[in-house]
Amino acid sequence: MKNIKRALRMHRIFVTQELKRMMEYKGDFIVGIIGFLLGQFFNIMFLWIIFSQIPSLMGWTLNQIVFIYGFSLIPKGLDHLLFDNLWSIGHFTVAKGDFDKYLTRPIDTLFHVMVEKLQIDALGELLMGIALICVTLPQLAIEWGIVKILLALLVIPFATLIYTGIKIATAAIAFWTKRSGNITYMFYMVNDFAKYPSTIYNRGVRAIITYVIPFAFTAFYPANYILTGENPWFNIGLTVLISLIIMVIGICIWNIGIKAYESAGS
Amino acid sequence: MIYVENLKKEFKKSIKEPGLKGSIKSFFKPDNEIITAVDDISFHVPRGEVLGFIGPNGAGKSTVIKMLTGILTPTSGRCEINGQIPYKNRKNYVKEIGVVFGQRTQLWWDLALRETYTVLKEIYEVDDVQYKKRMAFLNEVLELDSFITSPVRTLSLGQRMRADIAASLLHSPKVLFLDEPTIGLDVVVKDNIRKAIKAINQNENTTVILTTHDLQDVENLCSRIVMIDKGRKVFDGDISELKKKFGQSREMKFVPVDFNVVESLNYAKTFNLSDDDVQVESDGHKVNVRFNSDKVSVEKMLNYTLSEIHVKDISVSDADIEEIIKGIYRSEVEV
Amino acid sequence: MKKKFRIYKPFMIAGMQETTTYRANWIFYMLGNVLGCFVSYFVWKAVFLSDPDSSLNGFTMPQMVVYIFLMFLTSTIISSGGTYDIGEEIRDGTISMRMIKPISYNATFLFQELGNKIMTVFLLVIPLVVGVEICRTVLLGALQFNIALFLLYVLSCVFAYLINFFFNICFGFIAFIIKYLWGANMMKNCIIGFLSGSVIPLAFLPDIVQKILLILPFASLNYTPVMIYMGMYQGTQILYYIGLQVFWVLFFWGLSKLLWAVSTKHLSVQGG
Repeated sequence: MKNIKRALRMHRIFVTQELKRMMEYKGDFIVGIIGFLLGQFFNIMFLWIIFSQIPSLMGWTLNQIVFIYGFSLIPKGLDHLLFDNLWSIGHFTVAKGDFDKYLTRPIDTLFHVMVEKLQIDALGELLMGIALICVTLPQLAIEWGIVKILLALLVIPFATLIYTGIKIATAAIAFWTKRSGNITYMFYMVNDFAKYPSTIYNRGVRAIITYVIPFAFTAFYPANYILTGENPWFNIGLTVLISLIIMVIGICIWNIGIKAYESAGS
Repeated sequence: MIYVENLKKEFKKSIKEPGLKGSIKSFFKPDNEIITAVDDISFHVPRGEVLGFIGPNGAGKSTVIKMLTGILTPTSGRCEINGQIPYKNRKNYVKEIGVVFGQRTQLWWDLALRETYTVLKEIYEVDDVQYKKRMAFLNEVLELDSFITSPVRTLSLGQRMRADIAASLLHSPKVLFLDEPTIGLDVVVKDNIRKAIKAINQNENTTVILTTHDLQDVENLCSRIVMIDKGRKVFDGDISELKKKFGQSREMKFVPVDFNVVESLNYAKTFNLSDDDVQVESDGHKVNVRFNSDKVSVEKMLNYTLSEIHVKDISVSDADIEEIIKGIYRSEVEV
Repeated sequence: MKKKFRIYKPFMIAGMQETTTYRANWIFYMLGNVLGCFVSYFVWKAVFLSDPDSSLNGFTMPQMVVYIFLMFLTSTIISSGGTYDIGEEIRDGTISMRMIKPISYNATFLFQELGNKIMTVFLLVIPLVVGVEICRTVLLGALQFNIALFLLYVLSCVFAYLINFFFNICFGFIAFIIKYLWGANMMKNCIIGFLSGSVIPLAFLPDIVQKILLILPFASLNYTPVMIYMGMYQGTQILYYIGLQVFWVLFFWGLSKLLWAVSTKHLSVQGG
């Protein structure tokens, strides 16, 4: 209990510092947010242009696909906003030897790394995600019940943890290889598969994004539940379970990695 | 306070062959070799001592510091600081030490310096009363006042170093590790930093371990030095001992009345000395003769010089520590 | 010329070694990008399945597949990272050191990247070209490889790379205004990605938009080489688009010179 209280306090302190930093560079952050908004905007344009050529994509309407797309941006954006500092571990912190700093501090390294930075650019993704959901929802005939609303809200933090867990695991590889940023990048590219209904893929790809690198659970499966109300145990239940498993795996790899770093240095 | 016994550290390093062919080959099949960075080092530091850790680049100084601060785990051997083993229960251990890596900073780059201290206060769980007292003390010693509200990125190197040292001392550590604290600083700033380190050591009886390339640091600060080279300890003792052990060399300086007759002096032949034992340098005004006082006495050198030529001024002194260490590095390299 | 090359050769070797040192990282980066291609591939496959007449804006399914992978290949060949490097140097002030050195910054950087590219060509481009050709042969039922078009493609890629190189250097100078380039760079990549046809062939865009984009430097980056390779452009068209590429190379080269001159002045006034 004391630990949690201290962790929350530390988190608040770090976030405050980050907000102060943001105020120092207002212009930069606005550009960053616009950058991410624009990136998403072009992706939507792509969908829109495609749908101007065809009536539906393997039975999915434009609205449904945009909804899934929008939903995928919420957990992605949240993870990006809160835990983006993990990226830099694999990209340069370890390679440059700057990781030593964390080892000379009396708090948990992983916790320290995770909460140290706030990536305001991610607001671009979050805003776009919310906007897309808001635009498409009224046009989709979705039956809402209290359970569905609760489950939809519940699943978001867990879907976020899938990203975070994978980022922890891949960042930790840098403890052996000095650089692992591009491994994280590779996994992120896999996550692009999750932006579209997984029924458009062949069986092999579908199996991979469901069971091997389960990014389908960050977007398509939960969104599918919201759209259809089908299979809550699979679509929601498994998302929760998988996110927890991935977090555990991530933390384990991190801890083993720290041990390896201690014996090899940089 | 600090006990280090038979400390050893090995690394794996990949070997690269030159050229395009080598690049492509090592892309597919990298070769590794084992390198011993620190080899069987032992020493002991009592509380309140300032220990200088010196040696040429790549001697293994930083590796030792990293092992002592818990960043690296030794391959074998042990170190114990304040009754704790650094790499075991690190989170607890680091509360009692302060670390500054001169080449890196632990300050929050984009924010006013003061913000760094507020965050560190939380990280190290320093209470408000203690924090106030501590900041007042650090302010006095390191003179942070003039730039504490500036963003860290705008600080000069000297200010940044002072700020970093303050950051490492906020939680009143019992041991302070300084890895090249004066690197890249000008003479005046170096002097300020040294004074501050001295003040902290004296006021709080903080044990200080510092690595440096600047021998002025050693002469001004350290009660003792440990010299390592190629991972091995080559000297351990105080400065006078170092001079006694390696410092038979003396330096005779004189200003001749007539510069043209200087060439008639031939120390090597007169005293049958090798090139290592005597070196003569002149700048067209002054002449510098470095010689080994084991091989030829100061008296003989003076007598010979004065009997051969007329001088306006002459003096003999101990060679400075820099020369001694250079000599040791050189001979180590040749071995 | 030979002497000049000797000055810059170490930079090239350094670039090659960089790729080697972090080879695993490099492989994963490429793998990630290939995966991205597969996402597009599946989306397009679904698109063509939904459409009965199976030709969209002059693209058939096999052509679309070739387009996707050629786009990836071309983007990899012509990619350039000058923006960050210049941006970083402006941010930490080392740029003033560059200005007093007797070698050209652009050239050192170009050679360093060339070293990188040599490795890329050996390890990625050759296998991929072979892969694309096998794929084309299987999909279309006959060998499509045309050596003349391939050589024109290579030439067009060289110009595209130079445009990208100088453009990125120019873009890096906004670090004088914006300290953190991450967002701005992201924005730039998105815009270029879309407008140069990486996301969707320009032929899918409305006519008027297409015409404008073809003249602007965007199409000169990815689109021109890919269209040449695929045989979508004929005789004089090829000449016209390559000529346009040359124009843009000169334009951005000139602009980067100008920006260097202006920022040198700026630095000497501001004192770094």
